Amino acid sequence: MGALSSVPFRQESSFRDWKRNLAAQRWKHAAAALLLAVLTAIACWRCNVDLRSFVTGIGKGLSLLQMFFPPDWSGLLGMMQPLAVTAVMALIATILGMCLSLPCALAASSNIAPPFLRLMMRSFIALERGLPEIVQMLLLIAVFGLGAVPGLAALSFSSIGMLAKLLADGIEEIEPQMLEAVEGTGATRSQVIRYAVIPQILPSLLANGLFRFEVNVRAGVILGAIGAGGIGYIMSTSMNSMDYPKACMATLLTLALVFASERVSDFFRARILGEGAL
Amino acid sequence: MLQLSNIVVQLPNGKRLVNDVSFTVGRGEFVSILGSSGAGKSLTLRCIVGLTKPNQGEIVLTGPEGRAYRPTNVDAKELRRARRHMGLIFQGSNLVKRLTVLENVMLGRLGHISPVRSWLLGFTDSEARQAMIALDRVNMAQCAARLAGSLSGGEMQRVSIARAIYQRPLIYLADEPISSLDPKNAEAIMSILQPLSRETPVIGAFHQPAVVARYCTRVIGIREGKVVYDGRAQLSARQLEDIYGDATAEPIPAFHEPGLQPVLFEPDMQPPMRPSLHQGVPV
Repeated sequence: MGALSSVPFRQESSFRDWKRNLAAQRWKHAAAALLLAVLTAIACWRCNVDLRSFVTGIGKGLSLLQMFFPPDWSGLLGMMQPLAVTAVMALIATILGMCLSLPCALAASSNIAPPFLRLMMRSFIALERGLPEIVQMLLLIAVFGLGAVPGLAALSFSSIGMLAKLLADGIEEIEPQMLEAVEGTGATRSQVIRYAVIPQILPSLLANGLFRFEVNVRAGVILGAIGAGGIGYIMSTSMNSMDYPKACMATLLTLALVFASERVSDFFRARILGEGAL
Repeated sequence: MLQLSNIVVQLPNGKRLVNDVSFTVGRGEFVSILGSSGAGKSLTLRCIVGLTKPNQGEIVLTGPEGRAYRPTNVDAKELRRARRHMGLIFQGSNLVKRLTVLENVMLGRLGHISPVRSWLLGFTDSEARQAMIALDRVNMAQCAARLAGSLSGGEMQRVSIARAIYQRPLIYLADEPISSLDPKNAEAIMSILQPLSRETPVIGAFHQPAVVARYCTRVIGIREGKVVYDGRAQLSARQLEDIYGDATAEPIPAFHEPGLQPVLFEPDMQPPMRPSLHQGVPV
């Protein structure tokens, strides 16, 4: 270091610029933190959020929690069917989402689709992603009525939205030389998709699809509570009728299902990413 | 035989990146296009393949039976027909990384396969066998089942040559096939391309005049988009200067500033890489 520090360098001024930028950056960060703290305080005050109620609520919460135990084991067998409904709904929505997201993603990629098609598909995906599953579900209930169908449709739509976006971004990241090399053999656009695009993005489609399955299980429980059936519906009705041990049982089963779906998805994802990590 | 006549590629502002380039390449030739970065070498090759549309000029590739293929001023179908007969060997990263090596070789003849068959059936056994023969020619048959992404740079380059061989083209086009390789791998690639050129002409863009002098039969020198040299591959120092410009004309500042020590480098280190003009060239 000693030998280097004594040597003059030419861009003394650019070094000073760098140091000044660094100092400015620190001030900016401090100011942002302060601003956030003030905003939080104002928000709590304006919305009557009283942090004391967290403390006073503990006692009430504990006594309510006592009513949940022991869980109602006798309901276990009867809940297997709704549990399966939720799991199957998530699975079908994931598969539908994966299949339909591929053409959507191709249409939303700048290196495959013409600009106007890309713009249309990107706008559609953005619009779809702007609506939470619950909002979509409420809209779909108006169309299909209550039941598993609007739930399935809502989950499928949001799966398409998420997977198509991730996939389209992945397609746009494919090196242009790779596509040009295949195109340069006289291949048609559809052959380029078949032999260059799909092999490159398939692992990402599968991995993201598995992750989406996890998300769909969780979202399926919530949608169940607002009318899509399944375990979520059991939970919401037993809570409303104050049958807390039954609600507890449903909660435990939900936990088990979510945990199991996570394990399954992690297992396969690790295998896919392991062999496709190129 | 490949014939380029008066090819012009210009920017919207009128600057000509390729300026009136014409040449003809025929049987048995191993042609090297030399020139500085940005001189228009790659662009000329891209025009031949139809990946860049020239603003003027015509390119004709003629088959042995006299059939002519044109990549310029034609519709997409004609362009694909012309491309089927051009074997492309580009810089490293052009293999489909998640397909196997053998599949990558078989991509070479996609132009001869109907899209319906590609989607429903894929490649046939006899195609795979022929692809193995092509792989064997570049000494890569032992890697047939590996994923292309797991290969080294030199191996990838050999596979992309196998893909071009399997295509059975009328001409090979190689865009800087050895630029990203170490000297040993570069020699290996050149000694694969040289015998190939005796059957089917090869046009390549290169940065190594010394290597080119040993393997190629002809050099086309391009400077600022214009052909400034077209002749034998063994260039004199004077001819190299015509192509690359005077190496001392624009010094790289940090190394020529008086009184300033380039402390981060060895004192006797040369300015970073311009093409080594005099290294090993018979003058």
